[in-house]
Amino acid sequence: MIKGILSNLILVMAVTLFSSYTVLAKDTSPIQVKLQHPAGTLRMGDTPKFTGAVTNSGQQTLRRLIVYLSLVSLEPGNERPVDLEDWSAQKALGIDSLSPGQVNTHDWGMRLIQAGKYGVALTVIDPTEKKPIVSDLVPFDVKRKPTLSASRIFPVAIGEPVTLLMLFGVILIAQRRGRL
Amino acid sequence: MSSLSVLIKKECTEDILSSRSIYFFLFASGLMSIFAVLLITNRELSLLDNAQAVYKMSTIVLALASLVAILQGSDGFAGERDRETLEILFLSPLSRKGLAFAKLGRVLFSWLVLFALSIPYLSAVGSTGQNLWPSIFILFTTGTLLVLALGGISLTVSARTATLKSALFISVIVFLILGSPAVLGASLRQTGIGKIIDMVDPFMDALNTIDSVVIDSQGFDFQLLRLGIMALYALMVLWLLNVTSRRIRL
Repeated sequence: MIKGILSNLILVMAVTLFSSYTVLAKDTSPIQVKLQHPAGTLRMGDTPKFTGAVTNSGQQTLRRLIVYLSLVSLEPGNERPVDLEDWSAQKALGIDSLSPGQVNTHDWGMRLIQAGKYGVALTVIDPTEKKPIVSDLVPFDVKRKPTLSASRIFPVAIGEPVTLLMLFGVILIAQRRGRL
Repeated sequence: MSSLSVLIKKECTEDILSSRSIYFFLFASGLMSIFAVLLITNRELSLLDNAQAVYKMSTIVLALASLVAILQGSDGFAGERDRETLEILFLSPLSRKGLAFAKLGRVLFSWLVLFALSIPYLSAVGSTGQNLWPSIFILFTTGTLLVLALGGISLTVSARTATLKSALFISVIVFLILGSPAVLGASLRQTGIGKIIDMVDPFMDALNTIDSVVIDSQGFDFQLLRLGIMALYALMVLWLLNVTSRRIRL
């Protein structure tokens, strides 16, 4: 029992230490990154823009920052990273220099390909720092949108050429028999 | 029945019954079918609005209409010359001007058949969206003006060239010049020169008018300038055909 209490105590201490280290790392970083959800309901086919803001809250100019977007599917049972290429999204941005107090704002556009629950986050990498800085995850829902209907298109796409083929076949046969 | 209407009827019947036309209409229908199926099976295309799908389908119809105008226009006199049937045609009681306009009537008839074939496709992709009927009307208007202009210029070239090959070559070059701004991106066409090219090119006028009516829901009064330019081209070409047709030689 004492062994169990001790191991739990060690675990709590380790978690506390790790958390305080993380807070410390966050607090000491001069970079702040925020990502904003676009207004309104999002539907398939929309091209919303998520506004990202990278702020230098330190005292020194930051150079050659790399900012990139990450998109994940949060659909229960289908949690996975999403390839931004399919969503026609801009993947990364380079910031040459960011002076103290300066804010770099950029609109990250993407085309919403599939309905479902998603999350998007912005990561900033400072080449002089060991840890990347990640924004809060911005969750969003993409609603299904009725667009083109297969049940309307297939009958025409198959029916018209077949009808024409039959009609022209009859004409050609009639021509060969000398009736036209 | 006048000689002109007899000849137009003969040309139109030939148009429907000739195996060349049959294959062309089958090809046109097949192409529209392939595109329609792509619209629902391709992930990116399946997200298009109905109006955007109608616009893209209309673009294909206009390209096919231009193709039919060029092929039939070039064949008008140069083809008859190649087949050595032009002399027989000249023996008909019709004037040479009448012959030229009967040939143009055939080109217009082919366009009407193509337009009729495209309506089920436009309806299938656009019936649940906006502006379907205005888009069918504007496709008919712009297509007719474009076919008149391209068919007329091809017939004029055909009247003056010795062989079908030369007539086709010149007409295809004219079509490529007119169609080339379409391959430029929208941003390039927003520059000063790009805007001028967009305005004076009848093919681009047709595309932009359809875009404006179908996607941007702009009224017909907004289209008057572009339609006017296209009508001006059609009238100029008709005048040119009228002048050239008097001097057609064997």
